[in-house]
Amino acid sequence: MIHKKSWTKLLLVSLIIIGVTSSCKQENKKLPEDYELATAWADMTNYITKTTPANTPTFASRCFGYIGLTMYESVVNGYPEYQSVATQLNGLGSLPLPEKGVAYNWQLALNAGQAEMLRNIYIQTSDDNKKRIDSLEASFVNVLKTTTPDEAVVNRSILYGKKIAQLIFEWSKTDGGHRGYLTNFDKKLMFPNKPGGWKPALYAQSFSHSPLHPHWGNNRTFIAIDSAIDAPEFIPFDTLAGSAYYNQFKQVYEKKNSLTQAEKEVAIWWSDDPDVTFTPPGHSYYFATIAIRETKPGLIKCAETYARVGMSVSDAYVNCWKWKFQFFSERANTYVTEHMDQQWESFWPDPPFPAFPSGHAIQAAASAVVLTNLFGENFTFTDSAHAGRADDEIRNTAFKIRHFNSFWQAAEETANSRFYGGIHIPQDNEKGLEKGKIIANNINGLHWKK
Amino acid sequence: MRHRQIILLIIINFCINKSFSQTRFTDVTTASGIKHVFKVYEGMFGGGACVIDFNRDGFEDVYITGGMNDDMLYKNNGNGTFTNVFEQSGMAVTKNFVTQGVTGADVNRDGFVDLFVTTITRRDKQEIIPRAINLFFLNNGNGTFRDATKEYGLDQLFSFSTSASFGDFNADGWPDLYVGNYFNEYKGKLSVINDNTVVEANQIAKGNLLLNEKGKKFRDVYSNYGLEHRGFGFGGIFTDFDNDGDQDLFVNHDFGYKRTPDMLLENNYPRKKFTDVAKEKGIDLKINSMGTAVGDYNNDGLMDYYMTNIKFNYFMVNQGVGKPFVNKAPELGMQFFAISWGANFADFDNDGDVDLFVANGDLNPNCVAMANFYFENMGGKFEDHARAIGLADYGISRGSVVFDYDNDGDLDLLVVNQEPVIADYPVPSVTRLFRNDSTRGNWIKIILKGVDAESHGIGSKIEVEAGGRKMIREIDGGASSIFSQSSVMAHFGLGNAAKIDKITINWTGGNKQTISNGSINQLMTITEIPEKKSNHLFLYLVIGLVVLIIAVIVLKKRI
Repeated sequence: MIHKKSWTKLLLVSLIIIGVTSSCKQENKKLPEDYELATAWADMTNYITKTTPANTPTFASRCFGYIGLTMYESVVNGYPEYQSVATQLNGLGSLPLPEKGVAYNWQLALNAGQAEMLRNIYIQTSDDNKKRIDSLEASFVNVLKTTTPDEAVVNRSILYGKKIAQLIFEWSKTDGGHRGYLTNFDKKLMFPNKPGGWKPALYAQSFSHSPLHPHWGNNRTFIAIDSAIDAPEFIPFDTLAGSAYYNQFKQVYEKKNSLTQAEKEVAIWWSDDPDVTFTPPGHSYYFATIAIRETKPGLIKCAETYARVGMSVSDAYVNCWKWKFQFFSERANTYVTEHMDQQWESFWPDPPFPAFPSGHAIQAAASAVVLTNLFGENFTFTDSAHAGRADDEIRNTAFKIRHFNSFWQAAEETANSRFYGGIHIPQDNEKGLEKGKIIANNINGLHWKK
Repeated sequence: MRHRQIILLIIINFCINKSFSQTRFTDVTTASGIKHVFKVYEGMFGGGACVIDFNRDGFEDVYITGGMNDDMLYKNNGNGTFTNVFEQSGMAVTKNFVTQGVTGADVNRDGFVDLFVTTITRRDKQEIIPRAINLFFLNNGNGTFRDATKEYGLDQLFSFSTSASFGDFNADGWPDLYVGNYFNEYKGKLSVINDNTVVEANQIAKGNLLLNEKGKKFRDVYSNYGLEHRGFGFGGIFTDFDNDGDQDLFVNHDFGYKRTPDMLLENNYPRKKFTDVAKEKGIDLKINSMGTAVGDYNNDGLMDYYMTNIKFNYFMVNQGVGKPFVNKAPELGMQFFAISWGANFADFDNDGDVDLFVANGDLNPNCVAMANFYFENMGGKFEDHARAIGLADYGISRGSVVFDYDNDGDLDLLVVNQEPVIADYPVPSVTRLFRNDSTRGNWIKIILKGVDAESHGIGSKIEVEAGGRKMIREIDGGASSIFSQSSVMAHFGLGNAAKIDKITINWTGGNKQTISNGSINQLMTITEIPEKKSNHLFLYLVIGLVVLIIAVIVLKKRI
């Protein structure tokens, strides 16, 4: 026997549930704001980056470049003050213009372009992930259709976005990095045997004893002048205690013993291990999303942001890898154990490639300068990329969310994190930051507006 | 001054002579006729050796994997030399595969030891995703083997396997197998390989727990026994860490600090279940765990475990049931930098405690030369005497096995070495046989013949009491030195003890057997005396009959 009061309560609860459910349904049908559409695709891009096996920071950075560029080129013709950057890039040539005098829904074009590019460039991802891409695309189409009753407009917009993606994807095939995940490690590569040369890691992140993507530095950059940037200066190898080279490693060696808990948190936060996260360039792409969600700009600025960040991190990695294999420099785990303390081990394991300059630093600087140019010097934001991850049991360190007052502050912390981790000496980070800025300025210098 | 110099010289001379008189190994590789080197496939991983008296002539032979080279089966000629009889052995099919490890047991209990060879891919054709079946060979009993892979249900496990080990985890007398796999299994055919299958290929793998079904077939019971783990597996060893009479399983994992750490799987026999107790036992090592040597270094009756690793190895000393293990490598004098693979506990100097050999070698293709270790047990602490006694070979070593190939009562060593990928490696790197030329110390060797238990005693434990010491050996079925299996013959150094007070055999399955007053310096065969199960049966029948009679009487009274 249920009491009358209980019946009333039950009815009330049911009504609330029905109310919430129906409001959720309405929410789903709500048209996306421009920034919501763009960031939904950026979230999907980072999800695919993170969950596709055998991913690498090099290959991932390249994908961000093409995916970001596709977003921009699929909508730019809807914004008269902006222009395509296709002809300013390294051999892409002009992309088709939309038909004159007819209407387009640029959100639909963006939606179709992102889905098409992700499906093509991440063809190696799982069937589940491909379904996720299809389903996100379909859900936006369903909603956007409701405001575009003219089916011709819908189809035309979708076709245009797809076409742009397909043409950019075709161009991508010739850059040297196409299907790069099939050749992560060149097992036949013979290492240069030189003093201070890179050695396979003993405290390693990867099972490979061969370095990652040794030929990545030959890849085509998005902007031609990015491949002509001068190589950074390198402090010459020396084993003499007190020499500049020795002192670089001594700083790393000593830092391990004086690491504060806060520095340990920084070290693990930025590790962005490609086996379990969206990789370091994914962290930069995520910063673009933070900036966009905070400022809620129109579609074209969203797309421009992802295009700039994507292409800057991609060109940063090509240059970085060119120099890594030019200098082929050792990590602290090699130098310190040979010349200072055999028992020493870095706080974080070594990645499988030479050290100089730091990939983390160069891409962080590149994206920070781009984002500063777009969103201003004093941009306060919270980085929750790894919020909720279980503590690092081995290092007794938690993943603590970060707060920054500028993008550059975040870039510097990215670079420092590799020093705290014991896997980069100061010059790796300093030169990385320095060269990243140049790459970003070249990207910013493209003629985005008419 | 001159006087002092003479004293110093005498002291130095004494020290050298002392160490030389204790143990001395001679590299007899060339003289013995062994000519072998393991050739890596893309830097990976083996090889190993298995000690096996395949023709039962009383001289132990050895099977050695070759990787990209052909495997070899070296028949012991009984005169200090070996002959490679691989070509006529019936195992030529291994030439189609990149072999890694090898282990042996009498799978069908016909008295002859059979062989299980692990592989990672094929040699006769290029596989886009490197995977291959492992190979199982039945000993024909006439000096040859036949490929029984398919017959035993093993021809569909397309794996990237490292070390395998035999054990008898259900104590039924039929030797079972654990196979360590490094990358995930891939069953696909070439026609369905696409970019997705390629990128998913190098993910962590499950092992195989292969139950021997009365010598007829193997069945993978991994999930049936509660195993779910995936890792970069380097195999495991069956061992009774908690002295409860059943075989537990310790699993070595590479990259434990990033992926799955080492696991200690407690056997819940007679329940069909393993439970991972590594964390509570403090042995969930998060290292590049290659292999595990098993031995009771302090003769306290508890098995201790030495895990090889990159940079520094771990010596996990057993503190007793219910207590966590403690890494005592630094305090016991074993903290030396190396990349280690094989390791063997054995009483090389016949003094009544086990010493430890460790096989070291860089990661091909890096190829920095590093010497092997020989840790002599100095009454509870260890000292590395490798250089002094002739074991500091700088070849790129992997698996190592211990056996008495010349039947002189002390234990010799065979170390499998890799061919360097670089051209200018500073020393020759070839598989080496080191003859133990010890001159002191009494000994006994024991061969077990299981009747209910596994036929060669795999999984059983022998205790020898002599000279006030109680020493134990577990008969292991492989992988206690990576990719390899040493002799199943138990060897005990006895020091100056002139007799053996007591020998106790704890057969797998719980049967216990005791022998008093054994002679020294001999090979002894102990055959299992099975428990008289019929007595129990009779007792149950009598009880049953009594109950029945009472029941009938009671029922009759009621009627």
